[in-house]
Amino acid sequence: MNIDLFAQLTISGIVLGSFYALLGVSFGLIYQTSKIFHLANAIPFAAAGYGAVWSASTLHFPLWASLVFGLAVALVFGLLILILGYFPLINRNATLLSLFLVSLGLTIAFPNLLQIVFGTQNLPLQTFGADGELGSAFDNKIFTLGFMTITLIDVLKVVVAWLVVLAVVLFVNRTRSGRSITALRTNPTMAAAVGINSRRVYILVFGIGSVIAGLGGLFVTAEFVASPSMALQWTLIGFIAVFFGGIGSLTGTALGGLILGLLSQWSGLFLGVQFAPVVVFAALFIILLVRPQGLFGKAAV
Amino acid sequence: MQRKFMGRKALAVGVVFGLSGLLAACSSGTTSSETSAAPAATEAAASAAPAATEAAASEAPAAAGTCINDVFGAGGPEAGQGVTIPAGMLLAVTGQGSFFGDVMSKGALLAADQIREAGGMDYQITIGDHQSGDVPTAITETKRLISQDGIEVLQTSYGAPSEAIIPIFQEAGVLTFNGGGSSPAQLNQDLLYMNRMVYAEDPAPGALAWIHQTYPDATKLALIGTMENGVGTFKETAPAAWKALTGGEIVAAEQHDVGATDFKALAAKIKAANPDAIMTFSFGDDLGYQVKALREAGITVPIMMDEFTSQAAKIGGSAYDGVNFGVDFYSTANPNPWNQCFVAAYQAKYGEDPEYYGSNYYEQVFIVWELVKRVIAAGGDPNDAAQLQEALLADPTFKSVYGGDASTVGMVALDKVDHSISKPMGVFEVQGGVPTLITEIHKIKNGDDPMTALGPVQ
Repeated sequence: MNIDLFAQLTISGIVLGSFYALLGVSFGLIYQTSKIFHLANAIPFAAAGYGAVWSASTLHFPLWASLVFGLAVALVFGLLILILGYFPLINRNATLLSLFLVSLGLTIAFPNLLQIVFGTQNLPLQTFGADGELGSAFDNKIFTLGFMTITLIDVLKVVVAWLVVLAVVLFVNRTRSGRSITALRTNPTMAAAVGINSRRVYILVFGIGSVIAGLGGLFVTAEFVASPSMALQWTLIGFIAVFFGGIGSLTGTALGGLILGLLSQWSGLFLGVQFAPVVVFAALFIILLVRPQGLFGKAAV
Repeated sequence: MQRKFMGRKALAVGVVFGLSGLLAACSSGTTSSETSAAPAATEAAASAAPAATEAAASEAPAAAGTCINDVFGAGGPEAGQGVTIPAGMLLAVTGQGSFFGDVMSKGALLAADQIREAGGMDYQITIGDHQSGDVPTAITETKRLISQDGIEVLQTSYGAPSEAIIPIFQEAGVLTFNGGGSSPAQLNQDLLYMNRMVYAEDPAPGALAWIHQTYPDATKLALIGTMENGVGTFKETAPAAWKALTGGEIVAAEQHDVGATDFKALAAKIKAANPDAIMTFSFGDDLGYQVKALREAGITVPIMMDEFTSQAAKIGGSAYDGVNFGVDFYSTANPNPWNQCFVAAYQAKYGEDPEYYGSNYYEQVFIVWELVKRVIAAGGDPNDAAQLQEALLADPTFKSVYGGDASTVGMVALDKVDHSISKPMGVFEVQGGVPTLITEIHKIKNGDDPMTALGPVQ
């Protein structure tokens, strides 16, 4: 085995896996609490990217402000989906399948909406410099150690992802609002009996989940571009991380994402890179077969 | 309670595998993930996008027909005035390749406007959406265009969908052009003509010869390709040409799914193979992600691509500086009078420069116009695709926005036998997102010395 190659793939796997963990926690928090297959989590992901690009190029926001604006846009879109899309259906006792279909429809429509509003062009994140000209917003430095390389944005991805995972896990386990989330997740009937307002909890988890998805969108936009179809591929990986790592466990979801990232990169040691998705799905299949609750999930009693 | 739990669990497992399938389709790129799941929704979106384009077209009138008349002669009944040609376009309206569908439709719609204003045929375009390369959708859309819209001419795009619909348009007798995903499997097909050089196959020998000439010490080549277009070049033509040129070897040959965005593992494997040069047959946005990953992996050797789009260049950013590509590249700066007429009209109508794909689909409409004029002159029926094809085969040379000079319109020729095209090709270098021609190259026959592909056609 080529040790250099293994080391580089491990670094790439950690970067990719950390990003999967971030997206997994975003979806996992929403799914575990509401049981809604919120495929439309792709919308705040893309909305954040477009919000950042638009505010930087049109409102002349500096980089930090455009990123904050992007997150705000993600939050707004996430809550709008909940309030205008899901709540009316929940009021009518709609099934989970109905909610999923709404989510799917929104996910399909949104890229087309972006295409109509912003065009089909890829939009890089550019800010106005001191010379008044639009230029690259982010200097993605490359760090080299022998054979191995890693970029600044990769380092940021890893650090931000695990800080967010830690913050969400602590929030859910250590705060009063977080315990409401746990109560609603584990026993909705009892939670309602003790006065927990499920709608408020939904708003809370959709808000947090949307902002985290927005963070993902900002990373992709800063590293590459914003484009109408930028979100779905990443969002789906987040879903898979949830079921791979473990339903009911945010920590498990995050670790599941990390393992998925490592597996997809390590597969390059033995197979062509085009087989990485096959390896990921094979691993998912085996895990669901052997441990339906996921790698780190708790079996239902 | 247990039953309810089991039901929920079954739903969860079902949905997660459904989503997994969606992701597989997404990453394969041959199916547009966001559209394949709900055709009805995308139909609406697909029809909305062309409608928006049509609206934009009516807001900003195309340039007057005068410069078109200067190039193509006067309008009138002999020029097809009064003749309506129902035409279809099979494009990537939605999905990852929607940029391509957008610029292709813009080129064709502009051509239709210009021809109408110049007193020529009324070319009525209906757009179908293959959702960025989804074959089953392409088949359905082609059948719809033929049976419901009664098209007589089809402008198709992408490789796999165009190959799949060949029996359909041949049976219906629809004259078809492909200016996007040309491929060897589309050669020698009745009623099908490609006005783009065959992807990868035609420019590869010249591009490799240029690498050999510029970097004579390079003997170790890494190849990158997809599993869709240019596979034959990736596996056979390029390795054979490199061997003939340098006596060297292919030290890495990596394929990836179309639509991939993560090339870190691929870049690491290429780097580990320590090549002297890289040639990639990837296309679309994939190239931007790929070149960025290669450079970020610390690979500094020359990279030769087989396509350039401004879209991919935006993704690649500064990583694109210094990369080369060999292709029949379109240039807005070409002083050819028709090209300048085209560029001015395109800018006036859409507020942006035309590019490679838009120009190919623009030219296709003018080829049809020329055929219509010939059939009318011969006293035939311009709505008969067989007669249009007969006119094409009688004289397969056409005016072009490629080639030419300040006083002469360029000319291109379709091959009467295999229905491919011969166009000026070149090796270009990218700096600051802008390509510059380095040298001309041309198509050679199988078995010819690849070095003879350097330079213009003799």
